[in-house]
Amino acid sequence: MSASSVIVLESVSKRYGSRAVVHELSFTVEKGEIVGFLGPNGAGKTTTMRMIAGFTAATSGRVMVAGRDMATENVDGARLIGYLPERPPLYDTLDVSAYLRFVAKVKGVRRAALPGEIERVATACRLEAVLRDEIFKLSKGYRQRLGLAQALLGSPEVLLLDEPTASLDPGQIQETREVIRAFGADHAVLLSTHILAEATLICGRVAIINHGRLLAIDSPAGLQRAMEQTNQVLLRVTAEPSALRAVLLSVEGVHAVNLRTDGADAGVWSVECQVEAREGVEAAIARAVAGRWDLHQLERRQPTLENIFLRYVQDLPERGAAA
Amino acid sequence: MSGTRAVFQKEIATYFRSPIAYYVVAVFLLGSGYFFLYNIFLGGETAMAGTFQNMGVLLLTLAPVISMRLMATEYSAGTAELLLTLPLTPWQIVLGKFLGAATILLLIIAGTLVDLIPLYFFGTPETTTILAGYLGFLLLGLACLAVGLLFSTVTHNQIVAALLTAAVLLGFWFVGHLQTFQTSAVVRGLVGYLSFSLHFTDFIQGLVRTEGVVFYVVVAAIALTLSAGYLQWRR
Repeated sequence: MSASSVIVLESVSKRYGSRAVVHELSFTVEKGEIVGFLGPNGAGKTTTMRMIAGFTAATSGRVMVAGRDMATENVDGARLIGYLPERPPLYDTLDVSAYLRFVAKVKGVRRAALPGEIERVATACRLEAVLRDEIFKLSKGYRQRLGLAQALLGSPEVLLLDEPTASLDPGQIQETREVIRAFGADHAVLLSTHILAEATLICGRVAIINHGRLLAIDSPAGLQRAMEQTNQVLLRVTAEPSALRAVLLSVEGVHAVNLRTDGADAGVWSVECQVEAREGVEAAIARAVAGRWDLHQLERRQPTLENIFLRYVQDLPERGAAA
Repeated sequence: MSGTRAVFQKEIATYFRSPIAYYVVAVFLLGSGYFFLYNIFLGGETAMAGTFQNMGVLLLTLAPVISMRLMATEYSAGTAELLLTLPLTPWQIVLGKFLGAATILLLIIAGTLVDLIPLYFFGTPETTTILAGYLGFLLLGLACLAVGLLFSTVTHNQIVAALLTAAVLLGFWFVGHLQTFQTSAVVRGLVGYLSFSLHFTDFIQGLVRTEGVVFYVVVAAIALTLSAGYLQWRR
């Protein structure tokens, strides 16, 4: 934890009765940082967001927002937070302008500043055309953007966004990402998403969570580097399979070999080698194979964020459920 | 205070952008108007006592309709997640909502003032008795709405909230009748003290007793405190 940590979670757990939803979660979000929160459904993302927002209290551990303990100073802390829940919290009978005015007033925006503040968030979220419309008439995309607009009111220090681009069309997704990116330049943003590309595009760091446990938190590039420790080399070779396997396994740094016949060419094998993440392993494989057989193709597979995510969430399938 | 005011203003806007407020006010005024005309022209009454009594029963059935949506719809619409994560204390939320519902009650009272025109035009009613009756009606209404807010706070379903509120209010209204079956003076005193109708009867007869005022205020205060406490606890 550093002085610029705006969101701090220290060994946070949440239980509903005997069911543990979040286990000993610890991480920080710094000012000027956008952190992506990745995890499958039921991983504990929304519960964690709710604890940070002060909607529900942690069973144990501590949630701090800009120095406020959200267990005891949640009202003070709420002044510093803009929160977009998974389902945009909208009053259908109000019009867009009345809704934004209500939220702005509660957030302490002064009466004189209200019109300017509403105009600012309406412009940022492209809501100018519907300011006078009743909320129940809005499309899903507008509802989502209105939810984001209320979170931006009052320029909070912290923005918590639960699936902020859900229900948006590609153009709107792009615009929303720009809004989040601009806001994240000098604020702390934590956003949960299922869209892995979104995390890569706009997040400085990504936290992967499953069964309520934090599995990894690092920059997308850092996660890729870490995953390369067990990455793969793929090759296509014309060879005798048992000898090929023996040769490959004798190469230093190769842990496992999986051979499949290449359906297109008889005698050609597609081989997947699990290798150590160090320089030169693929070169050693090439030397060992090329002298004996015809090597048609050799590539080192770079792990995508999607592969990394799947590896993390599949590696520990039941730890959390058993707890 | 600004938080309470913002919640109150939102409540008022929400009430009047949905049919509920219009429905409740219209039904109440139609009902009380009917009873007033019946009591005056068919009953030969030249006071408001009978009408107040009917207004009290009408209020018991309509207060749950006013209060049922106060918190229950916030849960079902997902807006509780906004309300409870904005910089608002549970008391600011509860008071803002209670005052919003109380405004509907005041509108109902204002609507019934029309009844006084023919009463004063054709007769000589006792003004202090009428004022006491209105005070009793206001206090009864506030207590009913506070109880309704409590049940709306502890359930996510507004129909369930309305039914629970109606059941409890009817219980409070009729509990005084148990006096007839009690031999113990203590129990008779207790059920009499808990009776919404017996205290209300005092008011409409022109008796403004501290005991009655305190009773309704305490019922409302307990219900509001439990509502605020529940919002704090559910975190």
